[in-house]
Amino acid sequence: MNKLFRKAFELSPALLLMLAGAVTAMGQSAKLQLDQLDVLANRASETVDVKLDEHLMQTTAKFFSGKDSDDAEIRDLIKNVKGIYVKSFSFEKENEYSSAEIESVMSQLRGGGWSKIIGVTSKKDGDNVEVYLLNIGDQISGLAVVSAEPKEFTVVNVIGPIDLEKLSKIEGSFGVPYLNLPPAKPKIGK
Amino acid sequence: MILVIALALAAPLSVRADRDGFDDAVKVIEQFYHVKHQNIPLLARAGMKAVKTAAKIRGGDYKKLAEAGSMRVAFFEDQKFDSHGQIASFKSAMQTTLAADWSALVQTLAPKTEEQTYVYIRDAGKDFHVLIITIEKTEGTVVQATVAPQILAELLKSPDEMGKALTDEATTSDP
Repeated sequence: MNKLFRKAFELSPALLLMLAGAVTAMGQSAKLQLDQLDVLANRASETVDVKLDEHLMQTTAKFFSGKDSDDAEIRDLIKNVKGIYVKSFSFEKENEYSSAEIESVMSQLRGGGWSKIIGVTSKKDGDNVEVYLLNIGDQISGLAVVSAEPKEFTVVNVIGPIDLEKLSKIEGSFGVPYLNLPPAKPKIGK
Repeated sequence: MILVIALALAAPLSVRADRDGFDDAVKVIEQFYHVKHQNIPLLARAGMKAVKTAAKIRGGDYKKLAEAGSMRVAFFEDQKFDSHGQIASFKSAMQTTLAADWSALVQTLAPKTEEQTYVYIRDAGKDFHVLIITIEKTEGTVVQATVAPQILAELLKSPDEMGKALTDEATTSDP
Protein backbone atom coordinates (compact mmCIF):
# COMPACT_ATOMS: atom_id res chain seq x y z
CA MET A 1 0.00 0.00 0.00
CA ASN A 2 2.83 2.31 0.97
CA LYS A 3 4.66 1.44 -2.25
CA LEU A 4 1.55 2.19 -4.26
CA PHE A 5 1.11 5.49 -2.47
CA ARG A 6 4.77 6.41 -3.10
CA LYS A 7 4.44 5.48 -6.77
CA ALA A 8 1.32 7.61 -7.08
CA PHE A 9 3.10 10.46 -5.34
CA GLU A 10 6.02 10.17 -7.78
CA LEU A 11 3.63 10.23 -10.71
CA SER A 12 1.51 13.08 -9.43
CA PRO A 13 3.58 15.91 -11.00
CA ALA A 14 3.30 14.19 -14.37
CA LEU A 15 -0.44 13.71 -13.88
CA LEU A 16 -0.81 17.31 -12.85
CA LEU A 17 1.09 18.40 -15.92
CA MET A 18 -1.13 16.24 -18.13
CA LEU A 19 -4.23 17.65 -16.47
CA ALA A 20 -2.96 21.20 -16.85
CA GLY A 21 -2.22 20.46 -20.50
CA ALA A 22 -5.72 19.15 -21.07
CA VAL A 23 -7.30 22.18 -19.39
CA THR A 24 -5.09 24.51 -21.43
CA ALA A 25 -5.97 22.65 -24.60
CA MET A 26 -9.67 23.11 -23.83
CA GLY A 27 -9.13 26.81 -23.25
CA GLN A 28 -7.04 27.22 -26.37
CA SER A 29 -9.55 25.51 -28.60
CA ALA A 30 -12.08 28.26 -27.92
CA LYS A 31 -9.51 30.92 -28.76
CA LEU A 32 -8.87 31.06 -32.47
CA GLN A 33 -5.43 31.73 -33.90
CA LEU A 34 -5.90 34.96 -35.84
CA ASP A 35 -2.43 36.51 -35.98
CA GLN A 36 -1.87 35.08 -39.46
CA LEU A 37 -4.40 37.63 -40.72
CA ASP A 38 -2.23 40.57 -39.68
CA VAL A 39 -0.57 40.73 -43.11
CA LEU A 40 -3.92 41.92 -44.49
CA ALA A 41 -3.30 45.23 -42.74
CA ASN A 42 -0.94 46.25 -45.55
CA ARG A 43 -3.70 45.79 -48.15
CA ALA A 44 -6.70 46.92 -46.09
CA SER A 45 -7.93 50.49 -46.15
CA GLU A 46 -8.79 50.09 -42.48
CA THR A 47 -7.93 47.51 -39.85
CA VAL A 48 -9.41 47.14 -36.39
CA ASP A 49 -7.85 44.70 -33.95
CA VAL A 50 -9.35 44.41 -30.46
CA LYS A 51 -8.11 42.09 -27.72
CA LEU A 52 -9.91 42.02 -24.38
CA ASP A 53 -8.50 39.27 -22.21
CA GLU A 54 -10.00 37.56 -19.18
CA HIS A 55 -8.12 39.61 -16.60
CA LEU A 56 -9.31 42.86 -18.12
CA MET A 57 -12.88 41.63 -18.52
CA GLN A 58 -13.14 40.41 -14.94
CA THR A 59 -11.43 43.45 -13.44
CA THR A 60 -13.72 45.88 -15.17
CA ALA A 61 -16.96 43.82 -15.17
CA LYS A 62 -17.66 44.71 -11.55
CA PHE A 63 -17.63 48.40 -12.39
CA PHE A 64 -20.63 48.14 -14.65
CA SER A 65 -23.26 49.64 -12.43
CA GLY A 66 -26.31 47.65 -11.45
CA LYS A 67 -28.34 50.88 -11.38
CA ASP A 68 -28.24 51.31 -15.14
CA SER A 69 -30.28 48.49 -16.70
CA ASP A 70 -28.09 48.39 -19.83
CA ASP A 71 -24.96 48.24 -17.69
CA ALA A 72 -26.46 45.50 -15.54
CA GLU A 73 -27.24 43.45 -18.64
CA ILE A 74 -23.75 43.96 -19.99
CA ARG A 75 -22.27 42.95 -16.64
CA ASP A 76 -24.35 39.78 -16.54
CA LEU A 77 -23.39 39.01 -20.09
CA ILE A 78 -19.66 39.45 -19.68
CA LYS A 79 -19.11 38.33 -16.09
CA ASN A 80 -18.05 34.85 -17.16
CA VAL A 81 -16.51 35.79 -20.48
CA LYS A 82 -12.81 35.02 -20.72
CA GLY A 83 -12.01 37.18 -23.69
CA ILE A 84 -13.27 39.04 -26.73
CA TYR A 85 -11.09 39.20 -29.82
CA VAL A 86 -12.00 41.08 -32.99
CA LYS A 87 -10.15 41.50 -36.26
CA SER A 88 -11.80 43.48 -38.99
CA PHE A 89 -10.36 44.49 -42.35
CA SER A 90 -12.03 46.89 -44.81
CA PHE A 91 -10.80 47.16 -48.38
CA GLU A 92 -11.22 49.74 -51.11
CA LYS A 93 -11.63 47.15 -53.83
CA GLU A 94 -13.14 43.69 -54.01
CA ASN A 95 -11.04 40.50 -53.89
CA GLU A 96 -8.26 42.04 -51.83
CA TYR A 97 -8.18 39.04 -49.52
CA SER A 98 -7.91 35.43 -50.57
CA SER A 99 -9.79 32.25 -49.86
CA ALA A 100 -6.61 30.97 -48.18
CA GLU A 101 -6.96 33.69 -45.57
CA ILE A 102 -10.58 32.77 -44.93
CA GLU A 103 -9.61 29.11 -44.83
CA SER A 104 -6.93 29.80 -42.19
CA VAL A 105 -9.80 30.66 -39.85
CA MET A 106 -12.45 28.25 -41.09
CA SER A 107 -10.14 25.24 -40.79
CA GLN A 108 -10.00 25.86 -37.04
CA LEU A 109 -13.79 25.75 -36.84
CA ARG A 110 -14.18 22.36 -38.48
CA GLY A 111 -14.52 19.71 -35.83
CA GLY A 112 -12.99 20.17 -32.42
CA GLY A 113 -16.40 20.77 -30.89
CA TRP A 114 -17.35 23.76 -33.03
CA SER A 115 -20.73 23.66 -34.71
CA LYS A 116 -22.25 26.10 -37.17
CA ILE A 117 -25.49 27.53 -35.92
CA ILE A 118 -26.05 30.34 -38.41
CA GLY A 119 -25.01 30.63 -42.01
CA VAL A 120 -26.18 33.47 -44.23
CA THR A 121 -25.08 33.75 -47.84
CA SER A 122 -26.20 36.51 -50.14
CA LYS A 123 -25.56 35.74 -53.80
CA LYS A 124 -26.59 39.27 -54.71
CA ASP A 125 -24.19 41.08 -52.39
CA GLY A 126 -21.60 38.33 -52.03
CA ASP A 127 -21.89 38.53 -48.25
CA ASN A 128 -21.25 35.44 -46.22
CA VAL A 129 -21.75 35.34 -42.46
CA GLU A 130 -21.32 32.24 -40.35
CA VAL A 131 -21.70 31.82 -36.60
CA TYR A 132 -20.15 28.92 -34.72
CA LEU A 133 -20.49 27.77 -31.13
CA LEU A 134 -18.07 25.61 -29.21
CA ASN A 135 -19.81 23.31 -26.76
CA ILE A 136 -17.87 21.52 -24.07
CA GLY A 137 -20.31 19.29 -22.24
CA ASP A 138 -23.57 21.16 -21.91
CA GLN A 139 -21.92 24.53 -21.80
CA ILE A 140 -21.11 27.02 -24.52
CA SER A 141 -17.38 27.67 -24.25
CA GLY A 142 -16.81 29.87 -27.22
CA LEU A 143 -18.35 31.74 -30.09
CA ALA A 144 -16.97 32.67 -33.46
CA VAL A 145 -18.46 34.92 -36.10
CA VAL A 146 -16.83 35.00 -39.52
CA SER A 147 -18.14 37.64 -41.88
CA ALA A 148 -16.69 37.64 -45.39
CA GLU A 149 -17.99 40.42 -47.61
CA PRO A 150 -16.51 41.55 -50.92
CA LYS A 151 -14.81 44.55 -49.31
CA GLU A 152 -14.71 43.49 -45.68
CA PHE A 153 -13.48 40.56 -43.65
CA THR A 154 -14.32 40.33 -39.95
CA VAL A 155 -13.73 37.67 -37.31
CA VAL A 156 -15.19 37.93 -33.81
CA ASN A 157 -14.13 35.37 -31.22
CA VAL A 158 -15.69 35.30 -27.75
CA ILE A 159 -14.15 32.93 -25.20
CA GLY A 160 -16.31 31.54 -22.42
CA PRO A 161 -20.02 31.07 -21.92
CA ILE A 162 -22.13 33.58 -23.80
CA ASP A 163 -25.85 33.83 -24.28
CA LEU A 164 -26.37 34.09 -28.01
CA GLU A 165 -29.77 35.73 -27.53
CA LYS A 166 -28.08 38.55 -25.64
CA LEU A 167 -25.08 38.89 -27.94
CA SER A 168 -26.69 41.88 -29.60
CA LYS A 169 -26.29 43.75 -26.28
CA ILE A 170 -22.55 44.00 -26.79
CA GLU A 171 -22.69 44.78 -30.52
CA GLY A 172 -21.13 48.19 -30.86
CA SER A 173 -19.38 47.78 -27.50
CA PHE A 174 -16.07 46.13 -26.58
CA GLY A 175 -15.01 46.45 -30.20
CA VAL A 176 -17.68 44.01 -31.37
CA PRO A 177 -19.10 45.35 -34.64
CA TYR A 178 -22.81 45.39 -35.45
CA LEU A 179 -23.38 41.93 -36.84
CA ASN A 180 -27.13 42.05 -37.59
CA LEU A 181 -27.36 38.34 -37.05
CA PRO A 182 -30.63 36.53 -37.68
CA PRO A 183 -31.93 34.54 -34.71
CA ALA A 184 -30.45 31.06 -34.38
CA LYS A 185 -32.82 28.26 -35.36
CA PRO A 186 -33.91 26.21 -32.34
CA LYS A 187 -32.61 22.66 -32.31
CA ILE A 188 -35.38 20.21 -33.08
CA GLY A 189 -35.85 17.09 -31.00
CA LYS A 190 -33.86 18.15 -28.01
CA MET B 1 32.69 53.16 -0.08
CA ILE B 2 29.07 52.99 1.10
CA LEU B 3 28.23 55.90 -1.19
CA VAL B 4 29.77 54.09 -4.17
CA ILE B 5 27.71 50.96 -3.45
CA ALA B 6 24.57 53.03 -2.96
CA LEU B 7 25.12 54.81 -6.27
CA ALA B 8 25.85 51.54 -8.04
CA LEU B 9 22.59 50.08 -6.74
CA ALA B 10 20.57 53.18 -7.48
CA ALA B 11 21.68 53.52 -11.11
CA PRO B 12 20.12 50.33 -12.47
CA LEU B 13 16.89 51.16 -10.60
CA SER B 14 16.58 54.55 -12.23
CA VAL B 15 17.30 53.04 -15.65
CA ARG B 16 14.60 50.45 -15.03
CA ALA B 17 12.15 53.14 -13.95
CA ASP B 18 12.67 54.89 -17.29
CA ARG B 19 11.97 51.73 -19.24
CA ASP B 20 8.24 51.84 -18.86
CA GLY B 21 6.96 51.43 -22.37
CA PHE B 22 6.58 55.13 -23.04
CA ASP B 23 10.21 55.64 -24.00
CA ASP B 24 10.28 52.33 -25.84
CA ALA B 25 7.25 53.31 -27.93
CA VAL B 26 8.79 56.69 -28.77
CA LYS B 27 12.01 54.98 -29.82
CA VAL B 28 10.19 52.48 -32.09
CA ILE B 29 8.42 55.35 -33.87
CA GLU B 30 11.67 57.28 -34.29
CA GLN B 31 13.55 54.29 -35.64
CA PHE B 32 10.84 53.05 -38.00
CA TYR B 33 9.75 56.41 -39.42
CA HIS B 34 13.02 58.33 -39.00
CA VAL B 35 11.30 61.14 -37.10
CA LYS B 36 12.10 63.07 -33.90
CA HIS B 37 9.79 63.70 -30.97
CA GLN B 38 9.34 66.77 -28.78
CA ASN B 39 8.40 66.75 -25.12
CA ILE B 40 6.07 69.70 -24.75
CA PRO B 41 5.86 71.04 -21.21
CA LEU B 42 2.53 71.09 -19.46
CA LEU B 43 2.18 74.88 -19.52
CA ALA B 44 2.79 75.01 -23.24
CA ARG B 45 0.20 72.33 -23.78
CA ALA B 46 -2.56 74.11 -21.91
CA GLY B 47 -4.86 75.68 -24.47
CA MET B 48 -3.11 74.17 -27.49
CA LYS B 49 -6.41 73.06 -28.90
CA ALA B 50 -9.98 73.54 -27.91
CA VAL B 51 -11.27 70.33 -29.32
CA LYS B 52 -13.45 68.55 -26.85
CA THR B 53 -13.28 64.82 -26.93
CA ALA B 54 -16.00 63.14 -28.89
CA ALA B 55 -15.60 59.91 -26.99
CA LYS B 56 -18.78 57.94 -26.72
CA ILE B 57 -18.65 57.80 -22.98
CA ARG B 58 -22.09 57.12 -21.66
CA GLY B 59 -23.30 59.52 -19.06
CA GLY B 60 -22.74 62.57 -21.12
CA ASP B 61 -20.11 65.10 -21.74
CA TYR B 62 -16.49 65.45 -21.02
CA LYS B 63 -15.19 63.91 -17.87
CA LYS B 64 -11.73 63.54 -16.44
CA LEU B 65 -10.25 60.24 -17.50
CA ALA B 66 -6.66 60.04 -16.28
CA GLU B 67 -5.52 60.23 -12.68
CA ALA B 68 -4.20 63.69 -11.84
CA GLY B 69 -0.56 64.22 -12.71
CA SER B 70 -0.17 60.81 -14.31
CA MET B 71 0.15 61.81 -17.94
CA ARG B 72 3.28 61.73 -20.05
CA VAL B 73 3.12 63.06 -23.59
CA ALA B 74 5.51 63.08 -26.54
CA PHE B 75 4.62 64.86 -29.77
CA PHE B 76 5.81 64.39 -33.32
CA GLU B 77 4.82 67.49 -35.29
CA ASP B 78 5.28 68.48 -38.93
CA GLN B 79 7.05 65.28 -39.80
CA LYS B 80 6.56 62.70 -42.50
CA PHE B 81 5.07 59.38 -41.50
CA ASP B 82 5.29 56.99 -44.43
CA SER B 83 5.53 53.26 -43.88
CA HIS B 84 5.92 52.63 -47.64
CA GLY B 85 3.21 49.97 -47.63
CA GLN B 86 4.67 48.22 -44.61
CA ILE B 87 2.31 49.42 -41.93
CA ALA B 88 1.92 45.86 -40.62
CA SER B 89 5.68 45.78 -39.97
CA PHE B 90 5.38 48.85 -37.77
CA LYS B 91 2.52 47.25 -35.86
CA SER B 92 4.62 44.13 -35.43
CA ALA B 93 7.69 46.13 -34.26
CA MET B 94 5.60 47.95 -31.66
CA GLN B 95 4.05 44.69 -30.48
CA THR B 96 7.44 42.99 -30.17
CA THR B 97 8.80 45.89 -28.13
CA LEU B 98 5.89 46.19 -25.72
CA ALA B 99 4.59 42.62 -25.49
CA ALA B 100 6.62 41.67 -22.40
CA ASP B 101 4.96 44.22 -20.10
CA TRP B 102 1.88 45.47 -21.93
CA SER B 103 -1.27 43.91 -23.38
CA ALA B 104 -2.44 45.19 -26.73
CA LEU B 105 -6.06 46.25 -26.39
CA VAL B 106 -6.96 48.07 -29.60
CA GLN B 107 -5.07 48.60 -32.80
CA THR B 108 -6.56 50.47 -35.75
CA LEU B 109 -4.64 51.07 -38.97
CA ALA B 110 -5.44 52.88 -42.21
CA PRO B 111 -2.40 52.58 -44.52
CA LYS B 112 -3.59 55.07 -47.11
CA THR B 113 -3.74 57.93 -44.63
CA GLU B 114 -1.10 56.36 -42.37
CA GLU B 115 -3.57 56.81 -39.49
CA GLN B 116 -2.92 54.42 -36.66
CA THR B 117 -4.01 54.08 -33.06
CA TYR B 118 -2.55 51.61 -30.61
CA VAL B 119 -3.85 51.21 -27.07
CA TYR B 120 -1.85 49.10 -24.64
CA ILE B 121 -2.73 48.32 -21.03
CA ARG B 122 -0.96 46.98 -17.97
CA ASP B 123 -1.76 46.60 -14.27
CA ALA B 124 -0.68 49.39 -11.93
CA GLY B 125 -1.82 48.19 -8.53
CA LYS B 126 -5.45 49.18 -8.10
CA ASP B 127 -5.34 51.20 -11.32
CA PHE B 128 -4.24 50.59 -14.89
CA HIS B 129 -1.52 52.17 -16.97
CA VAL B 130 -2.70 52.97 -20.49
CA LEU B 131 -0.27 53.67 -23.32
CA ILE B 132 -1.70 55.25 -26.47
CA ILE B 133 0.15 55.76 -29.70
CA THR B 134 -1.55 57.77 -32.44
CA ILE B 135 -0.02 58.47 -35.81
CA GLU B 136 -1.22 60.44 -38.81
CA LYS B 137 0.50 61.53 -42.02
CA THR B 138 2.35 64.46 -40.50
CA GLU B 139 2.02 64.08 -36.75
CA GLY B 140 2.05 61.57 -33.97
CA THR B 141 1.48 61.39 -30.23
CA VAL B 142 2.49 59.01 -27.48
CA VAL B 143 0.51 59.30 -24.25
CA GLN B 144 0.88 57.31 -21.07
CA ALA B 145 -1.67 57.74 -18.29
CA THR B 146 -2.91 56.05 -15.15
CA VAL B 147 -6.61 55.26 -15.27
CA ALA B 148 -8.93 54.02 -12.54
CA PRO B 149 -10.77 50.74 -13.27
CA GLN B 150 -14.16 52.48 -13.19
CA ILE B 151 -13.04 54.80 -15.99
CA LEU B 152 -11.48 51.90 -17.86
CA ALA B 153 -14.80 50.03 -17.70
CA GLU B 154 -16.52 53.03 -19.31
CA LEU B 155 -13.82 53.36 -21.95
CA LEU B 156 -13.98 49.67 -22.79
CA LYS B 157 -17.51 50.11 -24.07
CA SER B 158 -15.96 51.91 -27.01
CA PRO B 159 -12.36 50.73 -27.09
CA ASP B 160 -11.76 52.20 -30.54
CA GLU B 161 -12.66 55.65 -29.13
CA MET B 162 -10.52 55.18 -26.06
CA GLY B 163 -7.22 56.23 -27.61
CA LYS B 164 -8.73 59.42 -28.98
CA ALA B 165 -10.43 60.26 -25.69
CA LEU B 166 -7.23 59.98 -23.65
CA THR B 167 -5.04 61.65 -26.25
CA ASP B 168 -7.46 64.57 -26.48
CA GLU B 169 -7.39 64.91 -22.73
CA ALA B 170 -3.61 64.85 -22.66
CA THR B 171 -3.34 67.53 -25.31
CA THR B 172 -6.16 69.84 -24.35
CA SER B 173 -6.58 69.93 -20.60
CA ASP B 174 -4.68 70.46 -17.42
CA PRO B 175 -3.79 66.93 -16.37
